[in-house]
Amino acid sequence: MADTTFADRPDLEVDPVLKHSLREAKFILGVWLACFAWTCTYCYLYGYVSHEPKPGVSVVAIGELVGPLESFNRDPATALETPLDLGIPGWVFYGILLPWIACVLVSIWYCLFFFVEDDLGVDVTEAGGTPYGD
Amino acid sequence: METSLVTTVTFVLYIAGVFVLAAISHKLLSKKSFMGEYFLGSRGLGSWALAFTFAATSSSGGSFTGYPSLIYSYGWVLALWIASYMIMPACTMGVMGKRLNQVARKSGAITIPDVLRDRFESTGLALFATCTIIFFTICNLIAQFKAGALIIEETFNLPADWGYGAGLVIFAVTVVFYTAYGGFRAVVWTDVMQGIVMGIGVVILVFVVLSQVDGGLDAVNRKLLTQDPKLITSVNGAYNDLTLNAVGENKPGGLIYRHPKAPNATLELHYPSTEPDTEGFIEVVLATDSDQEVTTTGNDVKRAIEEHAVLGELLTVAFPYRNDEGVTADGPGKGATGVVGVADTKKYVFIRGDEAVFGPGRRSDGTPFHPLGMVISFFFMWAITGMGQPGTMVRLMAFRESRTLKRAILTVTVYYALIYLPMVFIFVGARTLIPELSQENSDKAMVLVSTQVVANLGFGYQILGAIFIAAPFAAVMSTVDSFLLMISSGLVRDVYQRTINPNVSDRTVKIASYATTVVVGVFVTVLALKPPDFLQRIIVFTGGGFAATFLCPIFFGIYWKGMTRQGALASMIGGFTVIVALFAPPFFGYPSKIDLFGFHPILVALLSSLMLAVVVSKLTGPSPEHLVEKYFYRKKEG
Repeated sequence: MADTTFADRPDLEVDPVLKHSLREAKFILGVWLACFAWTCTYCYLYGYVSHEPKPGVSVVAIGELVGPLESFNRDPATALETPLDLGIPGWVFYGILLPWIACVLVSIWYCLFFFVEDDLGVDVTEAGGTPYGD
Repeated sequence: METSLVTTVTFVLYIAGVFVLAAISHKLLSKKSFMGEYFLGSRGLGSWALAFTFAATSSSGGSFTGYPSLIYSYGWVLALWIASYMIMPACTMGVMGKRLNQVARKSGAITIPDVLRDRFESTGLALFATCTIIFFTICNLIAQFKAGALIIEETFNLPADWGYGAGLVIFAVTVVFYTAYGGFRAVVWTDVMQGIVMGIGVVILVFVVLSQVDGGLDAVNRKLLTQDPKLITSVNGAYNDLTLNAVGENKPGGLIYRHPKAPNATLELHYPSTEPDTEGFIEVVLATDSDQEVTTTGNDVKRAIEEHAVLGELLTVAFPYRNDEGVTADGPGKGATGVVGVADTKKYVFIRGDEAVFGPGRRSDGTPFHPLGMVISFFFMWAITGMGQPGTMVRLMAFRESRTLKRAILTVTVYYALIYLPMVFIFVGARTLIPELSQENSDKAMVLVSTQVVANLGFGYQILGAIFIAAPFAAVMSTVDSFLLMISSGLVRDVYQRTINPNVSDRTVKIASYATTVVVGVFVTVLALKPPDFLQRIIVFTGGGFAATFLCPIFFGIYWKGMTRQGALASMIGGFTVIVALFAPPFFGYPSKIDLFGFHPILVALLSSLMLAVVVSKLTGPSPEHLVEKYFYRKKEG
């Protein structure tokens, strides 16, 4: 949506630091949301053995909305797989370790190619202003 | 615990290093504007300094005592507990960092209340923010001082009668001196020193521990899956077991259930227990059917206790929940499971080995450690709530340029990946290397790994072991120093200079800053001598309280020009009120905080704060034009 706040002030433009920061914030929060959805869902479906709520919570536990966990293999004797023989349970490997590595790579990409090195300006007090606003 | 010479020397060297850094920082104070340098390092933090002060401030002593202890107790589920650290550096530094730094420069803000005061032109908002910071920070400081004193007392094995007091004085003098004398820069440099040492230490520790685990992590998992259930001594108030009420003074330690590992067994009660190391407990050998399935019910156990010749005189037995479901077992070979506690859901009273390999983990009172509501809450808690901490936000106002922030995000991302997930590997593996610890004693996991696993390898490793014993101390110090500065900046800058006397001289500011830091330190030390019980209840929601109060006003304040003063105030007061209300029940004798739908209170508080920010701003808008122009626009070039 176009910004019309100062439409009658052609001498003004939206602060580029604001524009860039907002774009970067949206990207990071999007990555967070993706991690959140993947990690919580995968780990709960493949790494949990019961739906137990916190004691004292009288309403239905949020986990019960997922349906019975018995539809997944929950026999401790056979449910454990350790990819690449690293000794890390499959649900930790796919649910946490791989996304963690992906996050490191995405963060590196974000810093190197997405992040804009804006000029943040000088501190108003160093520029001769007062510390009390204008 | 024996204190080796290496540990003592490491401690002394660490403290000496801190004093040297304080002295160098103090010299810089005389060369630059005092207030900006003392509380914000003259907005001159470089990448390394920003990265490590950020990392160290967000990790308290708990990172090196509580976190290893939780891993040792609950196993792999801690990887999920900490999982949002994968994106936490980008969230906490990247979402607001650049913009917050710019907004602070536009008004010359040094503190978070400063930012609020200038952005919304509201003294009331700033004072409310200052009071909230001081309230939560002082409560937390008392706990941190206590933790620092206990670490010294335990590490140097000081006598019980005066050890805590001596530890407290040593800790307080050290941290108050270097914080007051060196200011923000001393605090930051100390964080860098601690962060680098800890990072290298954890990486070495991964290799040292895993190389000593026979068969690797796979063997640890197999051992956990096949081990007999760990027995719980479920005493008063247990979640899903019988409650034993003593008639007289003699009371058994609790119930221990045994699967007979045989078909068609009958229920037997042994008191005292015949098993080793369980004297004082009632041993219950469960009845089984021909398939070795347990047939005992909770009522069977209750009746057996009441009819027992000795126990019938000592105890009355009650069920905390309806308890007439059958005692269940997973089947032969997987060990016994326990008495049922809730009407329609079969629950175990044992901690089984496989519960350390899968979620949700089992507390010693039988309750789940990390149910789904908490899984969701904790993904918010670290990454999103972390954005709203004044201690970390003020660091985002202190870096030199955009490039500094970019490099710091990279550094912390890699640093957290090297520290937090590998610590899960270390302490899951450590289960086979150090003696079995109860959940109550598992705080010693780090110390035991340091002294019994690492230090036995030779002199070089002894130093590493000593560093890890000193690590919680250093982590506590890095949290305390930043909190001390937050309080003194709140009092000197926000209350005195910006509200009472704007024309105060530099000399007075300098004296007031030193004096306030020292006075706050002394005040907290006195309170920490005998901390009031209610403080513990406040401390647990300090982080959540900060986020509920500050995240939305600051986030919307810097990104949304429609945010009004009234919206910010409603958002702050609303978030603060909701989180206090949800954490309030323990103050009135109720067992726990209110987890609506199983979610942590912070989620509800943040949602309330967000809604109030938007709705009240819409109702009271628009924002004054001069503020919108100042913070959201700039003059076109050319």
